[in-house]
Amino acid sequence: MAAGSGPVSGIQALQAALAAEDAAIFGYGVAGAHLSGSRKTAAERDWTGHNKARDTLTAMISALGATPVAAQVFYRLPSRVHDAASAAALAAYLEDGVTRAYLGLVAVSDQRLRRFGALAMQSSAERAAFWRGGTQAFPGLEAS
Amino acid sequence: MLAASAAALPALLATAGCRSSDAFAGPDPLAGRPTPSPDVITLQAVIAAERAMIALYQAAVNKELRPADEIRGLLAQHRQHLGQLQARLVLPPGVPTASASPGISPGTSPGTSPGRALGRVSIARLRAAESASAADLVRRLATVPPALAQLFASIAASDATHAVALGG
Repeated sequence: MAAGSGPVSGIQALQAALAAEDAAIFGYGVAGAHLSGSRKTAAERDWTGHNKARDTLTAMISALGATPVAAQVFYRLPSRVHDAASAAALAAYLEDGVTRAYLGLVAVSDQRLRRFGALAMQSSAERAAFWRGGTQAFPGLEAS
Repeated sequence: MLAASAAALPALLATAGCRSSDAFAGPDPLAGRPTPSPDVITLQAVIAAERAMIALYQAAVNKELRPADEIRGLLAQHRQHLGQLQARLVLPPGVPTASASPGISPGTSPGTSPGRALGRVSIARLRAAESASAADLVRRLATVPPALAQLFASIAASDATHAVALGG
């Protein structure tokens, strides 16, 4: 059930989390275009949250002396988004990816990063449950 | 001599002027039960807490708390948690396994009897227990190996979503 194999450095895990946040920012832009009302408001709230998380991770990586990985211009989505249901499914998929990335931080030796990753994945798991309409037994360890 | 029982071995070794630790290169088999490592003790405590959580949910089911389907679903996920936690615990024969105890019942003050505590089960109590469990698991991350830390963190995230599902 371990998320990865072999030891991962704190910087590697932070870079993976940053990449996942960048993907989520892109994906929420797509999902939000197919949502309305309270669901659109929720997507905007989550998009804002991921932007803040990206800024936090960027600062943490820079503070460790590394260069933050750059966001891609385009991300391939898992399926076509054409209505509110597929937009919600995409949002849940994005949050699952973010949760898996933060789970990688929990495996590093730095105890502060472990705690940071564990708390961040609680937030993304809660958002995933919202968009999915149900909870999971093992967020971050389950296939989405 | 070959028919001598293990219980007689210390006396035989003493007669020969040997300690049991002189006769074996590995751990002394006569030194008693090995002391569990700190991460095993932590895992046992987490298993006990998970059992207490399941007991709390079972009490909620028995009391027919609503929403019943939701509560049954969350109970099923806690049983999955327990299964994974128990799968990580390997103990020598004869070492007692963790069990739910009053002192570690989620959302319960140490010393509260299980029957009395479960009699007060409510949605608010379940929600508080889930939040407390999520926080407790995160606190325990520092003392366990990476793979176990990931399992704890995943279960903590699940518990956090349960608290929200219960209106937290």
